[in-house]
This record gives sequence, C-alpha cells and structure tokens, in this order.
Amino acid sequence: MATQEKITVYNLADLKNTTDDAIPNYLTSLSFTPSHILTDVRLALGFSAFALSAACFAWDYNFGFESTKTYTAFAVALYTILNGLLTFWIFYVEKGTIYQGTSPKGDKIRISTETKKNVPVYHMTIEVKDGKTGERKTLKISRSFTEWFDAAGRFVAAPLQTVLAQGVDVVGRVDTKRANAAKVEGGEAGPSAVYTPEMLAMLSGEGVSVVGSAAETARGTEAAEAKKGGKRRKN
Amino acid sequence: MLSALGNPRQAAAQLMNFGLILSTAFMMWKGLSVISDSPSPIVVVLSGSMEPAFQRGDLLLLWNRNLFTETSVGEVVVYNVRDKDIPIVHRVISKFGTGPTAKLLTKGDNNDSDDTKLYAPGQNYLVREDIIGCVAPD
Repeated sequence: MATQEKITVYNLADLKNTTDDAIPNYLTSLSFTPSHILTDVRLALGFSAFALSAACFAWDYNFGFESTKTYTAFAVALYTILNGLLTFWIFYVEKGTIYQGTSPKGDKIRISTETKKNVPVYHMTIEVKDGKTGERKTLKISRSFTEWFDAAGRFVAAPLQTVLAQGVDVVGRVDTKRANAAKVEGGEAGPSAVYTPEMLAMLSGEGVSVVGSAAETARGTEAAEAKKGGKRRKN
Repeated sequence: MLSALGNPRQAAAQLMNFGLILSTAFMMWKGLSVISDSPSPIVVVLSGSMEPAFQRGDLLLLWNRNLFTETSVGEVVVYNVRDKDIPIVHRVISKFGTGPTAKLLTKGDNNDSDDTKLYAPGQNYLVREDIIGCVAPD
C-alpha cells in the first residue's frame, strides 16, 4: 500500500477536515446508506446562483450595459436572494453535519462536528433514531485529535472507528468487532490507554489506511496484539 | 484537500465554492454598476490633466443618476469619446440648453485648451448620454 499522506498536526482545519472525511468513509464501509439531501440542496442553490451570474456575464458581454440594465438589476437581486438562502442553509440547516444516513439495521444517524479555535479537540454531536422503537437520542462525544493522528500527522482509522463503535450503539450494532475491542478510555485530556503514540506510529507505518473491520480481519493478528497493549516490535 | 475527490458530490462542492467566489465578485461589481447606473462605476485617473485635483492613479467612484439636479457647469465628469473605450476625466466648463439634449463642453483643469480636439472628428460638444458618470463629491 502506498505511504499515507501526512498532514500538519498544528493545522486545526486539516485535522478536522481529514477526520470529517474519514467518518463517512467508515460508515459507508459498514454498509450504511447515506442520505444526500443536505448536500444536494446546497449544490442546487450554489450552482443556480453561479449559472445566473454566468448568464448575466454573457448578456452583458454580448449586448453591453445600457440595453441589459434591467435584466442585470433583476439578476443581482435574485443572486443576492439565492446566496442568502445558501448561507442560511449552510448555517442553520446543515449546522456542521458531516454525515446523515441509515444503518443496515434501519436506524437513522446524523453526525455534526465542530472544533473550537486553537483547541485540538473534536466535538461530535450524534443524533440517532432507533429503527424499531423510533426513540431519538442525542449524544455528544469529544475526543482529542491525538487519539487518531500520530506525531508525524498520519491518520490512523482504527481508534476513531473504535470511538464511534463504542460510543454510539447504532454503529456498534453493525460494527461488532470494534464495539467489542478493548475499551478506549479516552477523553479530552489525553490519548487513550490502549493506543499509545508508539503504537499509532506503528499502525500507520504499516500503511493502515483501510477502513472498516472487514479489512482489519485480514491483518487481524497484528491489530489484535496491538490492542492488547503489548509492545510488539516489527522486524 | 483536492486529493480525495473520490465521490462526485465532493468534487462538485469544491467546484461550486470556486465558482461562487468568482461570481460573487462579479455580481458585486454589477450591483454597484446598476445602483450608480454607470457601465463602469469605478475608474482610474489615467493622465495628469486634472492636477492638482486628481492625480494619475487615483480611483474615482462615479454616479450617473441625475436625481435632484442636472449635470451642471463645474462638475467633474467622466466620458468616453465616441467609439473609444478610454474614460476621460474632465470638468464641464460650459453648457448650452437644458435636458438630455443640452450641449456640454469639457476641459481638463491642467490643460491649456478645451476638449474639442479630443472629441471625434466632426463632434464639437458632448451630450448627457456620452457621460458615464459624475465624480461623486467627497
């Protein structure tokens, strides 16, 4: 497997974006069905605003300013409205959501994330709706980025997946392997007891950018021993 | 960043962000243009013909609406010579008649003679239509 990309660990935006991209990959690998409504509305609003401005440019370029003044005035007003709607959509409806979908067992899940400026802690707000009982719950999980990034800036998927599988029962039901792994005693304060920085480096040095527990089974022995907390030298 | 363009939605979202930056800048310019009713609401002074009032390189905000009064003698206006695209910033020094057919003569403050030489051959005066805006008073 190719060597993994490294990100700058001091760049909070990089940390958040990499993690935000990893979670949908993980859930999709567990056969969750994503719902693209939020993204689609956002794309529709944005592209229609862009198309409007392209049309305005076209008629201004071809016919000049004077003859197309009225159309341009309407175009500017409509563009302002579309952009306003887009901003409203992003801030009030999407609200930092990075994933929305249904699990293979029929539970609905919606994950939004945020970070506070210059604090390397990842706050997740997870809303779940049980498929059978219809019961809604909101969970908040906050973890330090050090739990799934090694010192060099490589992302290791396994600890993040374990956090989600053990923290959210909707995910744990589907990903039983991770849910039953050694309990990750992490938190905002520091890294988990199970995944020390050396092990993170080793796991990432392995080229572990796979997602999902199915692939993990293939390299099961190494991962299992790492989770037990043993210091295992690779040679 | 741009590396993992695995799914088309993500690619589309990034393309959209880029496109919106361009189109917002363009729409802000057009909005200003519509509000001031001028095809080019911000112009750069190109020559020293209005010194010491305006220096080369100064930016001017134009207003092309005559809401309260007509363009009068003494106002600084910007016009394009017929069929040319170069904006000229000079002052109106005389006016014959009133309304949109009034004849206007302009001259740069720092020039020796009026603009008759600058107008198109056969043109001896400007009308209000030729002017693309008056310099907004500061």
